[in-house]
Amino acid sequence: MQPFPPRWLDKLATRICAPHLREELLGDLHERYALRHRRTGARKANWFFIREVSALLRPSIMKRKPSPYRSPSAFNPEMLRNYFKIGSRVLLKNSNYSLIHVTGLSIGLWACMMVATVVIDSLSYDRQWSRKDDIYRIVSVNKMGGDLTERHNSSPSNLAPELQKMYAEVESWSSIDNQEMHFKTDPRDSYGIETSMLTADTMVSQMLDFKLLAGSLERSTQNRWSLLVTRSYAAKMFPGQNPIGRIIHEIPTFSSETAPYEITGLIEDLPYNSHLRTDVVRLKRTKIEPLINDGMIMFGINYLMLKPGTDIGAFTQKVNAWYARFTKAGERQFEFQPLKDIYLHSDFAQAQKVQANAGTIYIFAGVALLLLFIACVNFVNLSTAKAFTRVKEAGVRKILSGSRSQLVMQLLTETLLLFGISVGIAAFAYYFTLQSVESFLGHKLVLTFTSNFLMAAAAIFMFSLTALLTGLYPAWIISGFKPANTLRGILSATWGQSGLRKTLVVAQFSISIIVLLATIVVWQQLDLMEHKELGYDKNNLISIGQISWNGKAEAFKNEIQRLPGVVHSSLAQWLPTEGGGYMQREVEDPAHANRRIRVWYIAGDVDLPETMGLKLVKGRMFSNRFADAINADSLQKEGFEKFENAQMNQNSLMTASAAKILGIKQLDIPVKNAHSVPVGVVGDFHNESLYEAIKPTILLAQKSSNYGGMLIRVQQNTEPQVAAGIRNLWKQFFPDKLLVINNVEDQLLKQYEAESKLHQLFLFFSGLTMFLSALGIFGLVVQAAEQRAKEVGIRKVLGASVAGIVGLISKDFVKLVLISIVVASPLAWYALQKWLETYPYRTPINWWVFAVTGAAVLLVTIATVSFQAIRAATADPVRSLRNE
Amino acid sequence: MRRSDLGEFEEIVLLAVAALAPGAYSVSVAEELENETGQVVSTGAVHAALQRLEQKGYLSSHLGEATQERGGRRKRLFTVTAYGGKILHEARSVRNSLWNRISPAELSNMGLDFSNS
Repeated sequence: MQPFPPRWLDKLATRICAPHLREELLGDLHERYALRHRRTGARKANWFFIREVSALLRPSIMKRKPSPYRSPSAFNPEMLRNYFKIGSRVLLKNSNYSLIHVTGLSIGLWACMMVATVVIDSLSYDRQWSRKDDIYRIVSVNKMGGDLTERHNSSPSNLAPELQKMYAEVESWSSIDNQEMHFKTDPRDSYGIETSMLTADTMVSQMLDFKLLAGSLERSTQNRWSLLVTRSYAAKMFPGQNPIGRIIHEIPTFSSETAPYEITGLIEDLPYNSHLRTDVVRLKRTKIEPLINDGMIMFGINYLMLKPGTDIGAFTQKVNAWYARFTKAGERQFEFQPLKDIYLHSDFAQAQKVQANAGTIYIFAGVALLLLFIACVNFVNLSTAKAFTRVKEAGVRKILSGSRSQLVMQLLTETLLLFGISVGIAAFAYYFTLQSVESFLGHKLVLTFTSNFLMAAAAIFMFSLTALLTGLYPAWIISGFKPANTLRGILSATWGQSGLRKTLVVAQFSISIIVLLATIVVWQQLDLMEHKELGYDKNNLISIGQISWNGKAEAFKNEIQRLPGVVHSSLAQWLPTEGGGYMQREVEDPAHANRRIRVWYIAGDVDLPETMGLKLVKGRMFSNRFADAINADSLQKEGFEKFENAQMNQNSLMTASAAKILGIKQLDIPVKNAHSVPVGVVGDFHNESLYEAIKPTILLAQKSSNYGGMLIRVQQNTEPQVAAGIRNLWKQFFPDKLLVINNVEDQLLKQYEAESKLHQLFLFFSGLTMFLSALGIFGLVVQAAEQRAKEVGIRKVLGASVAGIVGLISKDFVKLVLISIVVASPLAWYALQKWLETYPYRTPINWWVFAVTGAAVLLVTIATVSFQAIRAATADPVRSLRNE
Repeated sequence: MRRSDLGEFEEIVLLAVAALAPGAYSVSVAEELENETGQVVSTGAVHAALQRLEQKGYLSSHLGEATQERGGRRKRLFTVTAYGGKILHEARSVRNSLWNRISPAELSNMGLDFSNS
């Protein structure tokens, strides 16, 4: 028998060899194989054949002979023009589909651009300082027992200079604090100009590279504050004048006198995208005192500048080891937070106004990417679904010697055209919605696609890439059919329901369902936080911001009390939304000997509990009939010890939770742990936002205090009159002080701005994703109805009912959406459960949320699908069957 | 004459075609070279060399008969053209003249003594 080399090797050789050489070369190979086989046997011949095949791998053998009837290159200028011509004709001819494509893509691209702007802007914060890599904020980490730690952005004021003395790595330091101020040039002005102000040591000018335009960066020699103003602020305050040496006055809140500020320097505007965003910089006198371990420790927000290249991990360890030795206790440690991280990663620093939550940014980015994904899926789905109308065209082109690359280019050109139009529309929409997004975020966006050339270029590049990736798959599919089959009309019957398309529809709807579920749950959580019973009556309550009363507090309160509409009023050292209280103490836990618990203190005059509307559980409220209130200010002036003693015997009210953890069984006897004598127990109330668990709180009464704010309970609907009355009284009592009136309920709501924004965002995005998904499915239904027009016609002729046909067409899609609901629900449940875990008071995720979402999605699907399905079912069968 | 036109392997292949005339084709050339040199010579390498030589005009070719071992495929037979003969001759005369210029003393130094044999 004729020996034959291994078949696979033979096939491989055929593959490698160019067609025009196959006859002679393969013949040679076989002949030699036969020779070898005879001479040395099959094994050796096979080995030799492998060598022979590998020896075929050379250009002269592999190179295919060019066809004499070559089609022009796919990148020929003539062809390029042709692609655009044919492409635009195709798009115009199928204008319905083009519209669906453009709508979907524009929305996806717009959302993506917007979110990219927000993300890029957030990431750009504090990246422009020349020493950004070397500046750190000192963060204190307090051990709270167990594994619990508490982080603060403040640190002992004298720590930074001490560190500079001890460690060569520390190049410079400064305390930098941010404050809202009101400055005036006109003494009669009682509101002034709102100014954000940094207070810092003079060293700050080197750390944050201030560019001096006029004056000096040093402090004034006079005994008053010196101020560096930025260029734009100076232009606002003194238009067209030299600000250097001028004096402006602050409108005081805490201080009793209006303090003069001398403008000593004019500096270039500081970057807006910095957490140290400011209008003016107040230079303070740097007082360096030795770091102490006990007694009164002052805290401030401090920044260190280290030498370039310092290993921050090693430095942190060194400092903490030293500090533990210094304090002989390991309760407080320090971390050094890089300047670049401060904007996005400062959840612990509640007082820092300019910050964003990295988590929210990630959610934002994720949702937008999903939106773009849905838009691209729509495109792929619809394009592949439409493919059957294009395969005939592709077949004809191929027969007329069009190459596959030409076909791919043609289809890609159409994709690029669609993307180009969509990008145009998206950019237009972007430009006009930028401002509303800025107002939604509450701050300006510095880097935008319309203001930054580099970003615009990057965006266009990214979009082209997306368009290419999106367009490649449909183009590859359509151009890959064999012309002989497509022209004969043999198109695999299953083409209409390809697995990939089904998967994509399920993915698309799953995303929509997850976003929809998130919207509902975020809304429930927001609703819970906004409407939870706080333990006091937050309606019809007005607050006046804290000031120093200059001894006129009681008189002012008496006048307020006389205003029509005022029910109760109280001078208070604590106002809702201003933290847990004016003081907190760690006391011994009566239940566990070596554990410590925390209690918070709230102080006001004797009317505070009644004004807030606290509910009495046991004992009595404060009253003027008893000596409930002490004069804390004057006592404190006399001495700390005397004040402590007086406080030990002071009457107090406790919340139920405080009474419980302190083990109060009997009222009216001094309790050591509480540092006071409880006379009554009131219901628990939330003195902080609902991000915090309820705090055991002790209320104390004080009289004629120097500092504080006011809470005023008014009758329903009298708030405007009362506010007007307060303004009048204010002018009489404190003509040059700043009056801050707030509605407590509004302020409470403001605490949940993050959730409220998240909710709005989800509402918006869920609408968009749902719309896009519906649009995608609509396109598919239109296509399915078109493709099955003949089938529907025949069914009708044979007596099928309209309902039956609608069901026939809708069934597939409804099935897919049902699968999506099953897939998405557990995913969403898990993610939302994780999200809710961060809240101490969380809404339960009810089963009906899933039911409602599922029903809504199904309803949208059925409405979308049946709209087109009914049209297909009611069409006259003659029309679809008439022509072949 | 541009000697670089003719590589060493090409020269041997060209010579083999001349020696095997008129039945020279890839297989016979490869087998012949294997016999002469004792080393494995792949068909692909020989085929590529033949192709190059034909492109340069040293060889001409025509399709021959098919055999059963070849799976019914025809073989391409090569013959040396006049130009190819001239090139071969030139290559040989260069060698000969160089050989002739080697002194007998040097030849014996190299261990090549032709006078005795």
